[in-house]
Amino acid sequence: MVLGIQIIATILSVSMVYFALIHYRKEELSRPEFFTWVLIWLFVLVVVMFPDIARNYARTFLFARLFDLLMVGAILILFVIVAKVYVRYKAMEKKLEKYVRREAIKEAKIKSKNAK
Amino acid sequence: MKIFIVIPVYNEEKHIGSVLSEIRKEKLPIIVIDDGSSDDSKVKIQNAKTKFKIKNLTVLKHRINLGKGAAMKTGAEAAFALGAEAIIFMDSDGQHDPANLQAFVENLKKHEFVVGSRNLSYGVPLVRYLGNKFASLLVSQLFGLYVSDLLCGYRGITKAAYKKLYWKSGGYGVETEMIVRAALAGVKVKEVNVSTKYHDAHKGVTIMDAINILFDVVLWRIEAWF
Repeated sequence: MVLGIQIIATILSVSMVYFALIHYRKEELSRPEFFTWVLIWLFVLVVVMFPDIARNYARTFLFARLFDLLMVGAILILFVIVAKVYVRYKAMEKKLEKYVRREAIKEAKIKSKNAK
Repeated sequence: MKIFIVIPVYNEEKHIGSVLSEIRKEKLPIIVIDDGSSDDSKVKIQNAKTKFKIKNLTVLKHRINLGKGAAMKTGAEAAFALGAEAIIFMDSDGQHDPANLQAFVENLKKHEFVVGSRNLSYGVPLVRYLGNKFASLLVSQLFGLYVSDLLCGYRGITKAAYKKLYWKSGGYGVETEMIVRAALAGVKVKEVNVSTKYHDAHKGVTIMDAINILFDVVLWRIEAWF
């Protein structure tokens, strides 16, 4: 019997693979990034559709239920992604600020030279 | 002592002209940073420069809006590059009275960091008053330095203090971060009373900004432990 959560997860996984494909075609994702996302969503699809395969792993990691393993795994992955995005965002912000400041001061120097 | 006035400007076409006309009387060099305004602020600044014949006015332009903290840093860098020994920050919305400038000039000769203190019990919305007081108490508890008006943008610093207070905040967190860095670096803060005129109640620090600032205060505390 197929559960509601399996239908939702299947639709979500397929949609996310499609989104990854769109971004890959727009060259916003590199080939390794695209395949990583496809593999992640295929993994989600397989786990949701065939939970028995992953159930044994849950016991190996001392989780009582497969759901607990998935939640902990998902949270860990999210933490890694958020940390990575945060570091990149901060670096970009710093670079942008430096660039805009340098340009502003340069422009003012040129203007004051011309005024003289 | 060579003191510059630094004014970050963002969409202040209504007030910047009158602000410049008022402070030019103090005969101090002025640096205005147009922080990517989308209105006619830049034109108003140029008009004021021509109309009032302000010779010692330098105008810098951020191509995009980076925020108040970033604009203040640009102004400070430019001022110190031009030979300033100290700078006084003023807001561009006309809320700071140029009559108080002399108090800053006098105090900067004796103190590294001079912070304006508004009379918060008059003309300030209750939410803003309570938020300001709560932030002051929080910073005092976490960093051991109590400043009665943490968010007042009317303040002066010397070149030596600037190096110690070098802030990272791009936005409205800058005033709080300066106080935090002063506490961490052991820079003494001198408070001077300033008068205030509020023109636009909807502008300035919003509740979301305040929440972000409080979040940053906690982060700075954690950062300082390492």
